[in-house]
Amino acid sequence: MSAFAKQRLSRRIGEGVFLTFCWLATGVALLALTAIMWSLISQGVGGFLKPDGGGLDLAIFTKSTPAPGSEGGLLNAILGSLMMCALAMLGAVVVGVLAGTWLSEFARDSRYGKVVRFLNDVLLSAPSILVGLFVYEILVAPLKGFSGLAGSVALGLIAAPVITRTTEDVLRLQPTALREASVALGAPVWRTILAVIWKSAQGGMLTGALLAFARISGETAPLLFTALNNQFLSLDMTKPTANLPVVIFNYALSAYDDWRRLAWAGALLIAATVLTVTIVARLIAREPRRS
Amino acid sequence: MNAQTDTQPETAVLDLPPETVKLAIRDLNFFYGAKQSLFDVNVSFAANAVTALIGPSGCGKSTLLRTLNRMYSLYPGQRATGEVLLDGEDILGPRVNVAALRARIGMVFQKPTPFPMSIFDNVAYGVRLYEKMSKPDLANRVEESLRRAALWDEVKDKLKESGLGLSGGQQQRLCVARGIAVKPEILLLDEPASALDPISTARLEETIAALKSEYTVVIVTHNMGQAARLSDHTGFMYLGKLVEFGETEQLFTNPVTTRARDYITGRFG
Repeated sequence: MSAFAKQRLSRRIGEGVFLTFCWLATGVALLALTAIMWSLISQGVGGFLKPDGGGLDLAIFTKSTPAPGSEGGLLNAILGSLMMCALAMLGAVVVGVLAGTWLSEFARDSRYGKVVRFLNDVLLSAPSILVGLFVYEILVAPLKGFSGLAGSVALGLIAAPVITRTTEDVLRLQPTALREASVALGAPVWRTILAVIWKSAQGGMLTGALLAFARISGETAPLLFTALNNQFLSLDMTKPTANLPVVIFNYALSAYDDWRRLAWAGALLIAATVLTVTIVARLIAREPRRS
Repeated sequence: MNAQTDTQPETAVLDLPPETVKLAIRDLNFFYGAKQSLFDVNVSFAANAVTALIGPSGCGKSTLLRTLNRMYSLYPGQRATGEVLLDGEDILGPRVNVAALRARIGMVFQKPTPFPMSIFDNVAYGVRLYEKMSKPDLANRVEESLRRAALWDEVKDKLKESGLGLSGGQQQRLCVARGIAVKPEILLLDEPASALDPISTARLEETIAALKSEYTVVIVTHNMGQAARLSDHTGFMYLGKLVEFGETEQLFTNPVTTRARDYITGRFG
């Protein structure tokens, strides 16, 4: 065999080994994902069907969490989760968009900006249970009560760094020439940001907000210390508030079959919501943009 | 060659008659941080004429242009010393309202920069900043600007569509329309045709030629043919200095300085 042919053979073997490993690794990751999704769907779908197996049962959306052995649904938890997530997002979007804008447009290279950016990244990866404890210390303990508002603050603290980061990233992607073009027409910088830069980046900013929403919708740890739970349907956010993650946490560990069935159904509900939101975010990000 | 160099001046800048001057630049030095990129530039640009700035990459043409509308003020590390007199008033001074100044001096960039909004709103954007107008007046202004940028016929049926959907050449003419809609006195063009195909370039050049009756136009270009076709005066820059400035025809046919002659005849650049 010539030296050339030898080299070719060894390259082919190297490529084959490398590709095999890549396929194996991908397979392992996909297998885990499929296993999770399969158990979630197979166990969770029962919660949406009548116990005798015939037809859809909407009790999950119409009834609140039951006492063991009686009929019920997840209405109070779904509503509580929605209220807390909505309030958290409201605060996080305002803070995150403004902070991200400041980092991108006003403090890009300043030392203070770098410090803020670094701290935001730290917050971004802080364990959520810490956020829960923090809010417990500053809100729940002094006010002597768990509440939906405290839960919203905890979720907002988790969502805000995500939005800050994504906002800064998409704003930085906007071309300098676009900013200068607006400024060259005599527009003040604030007007340029509002009318041109935000508008140009709105798809990416919305995507970031949706991903933040997906992130907080399944958070359990911060809510254990703040919103706690509530057996009953309640719109009062100054009181302990029911929510899906904590209900899942409690019911999944319980000894009652019907509670565990509800926990699976709730988990499926959250997974489906996150999946939908993520797909929507992808579609928005892919929105065709000619330039 | 050597004998010529001895007898030829290092720099040659034509003095314009004062009554024709719109912009006068006096002892202008420019700094990006610690790095100086313009050195003692002294030159005047005439009203209702096209002035071209040529020279090799990095010679300071664009920097000079960006000084004229204070674009550099956006960036903390950049500063200019000297004077730029617009109708006799120094625009580099600290008391100048920079936003209002920029409304008097339009700028078109190298790459088209349409805003992410409709064609109509693109043109109306600058107008709405400084003028309160009735809807029909605004519509007239938009139409007039698009006509003068030679774009009206192509977009009149789709004014509500996004400006991002136009072709590159159309986008650039949209930017020209947007710039003249605010009725500036001066139009600065920074290599406006460098991203365009030859046909779009020709249309843009026609547009620019038609604009000089009302505006003072300063154009930076790498294309010497374009400078020769379009301009009344041409300035040749090299390493941050204005080497030669004069009537375009004279500068292209009979340059006085060696550097300009070498550049124009293609001996370096």
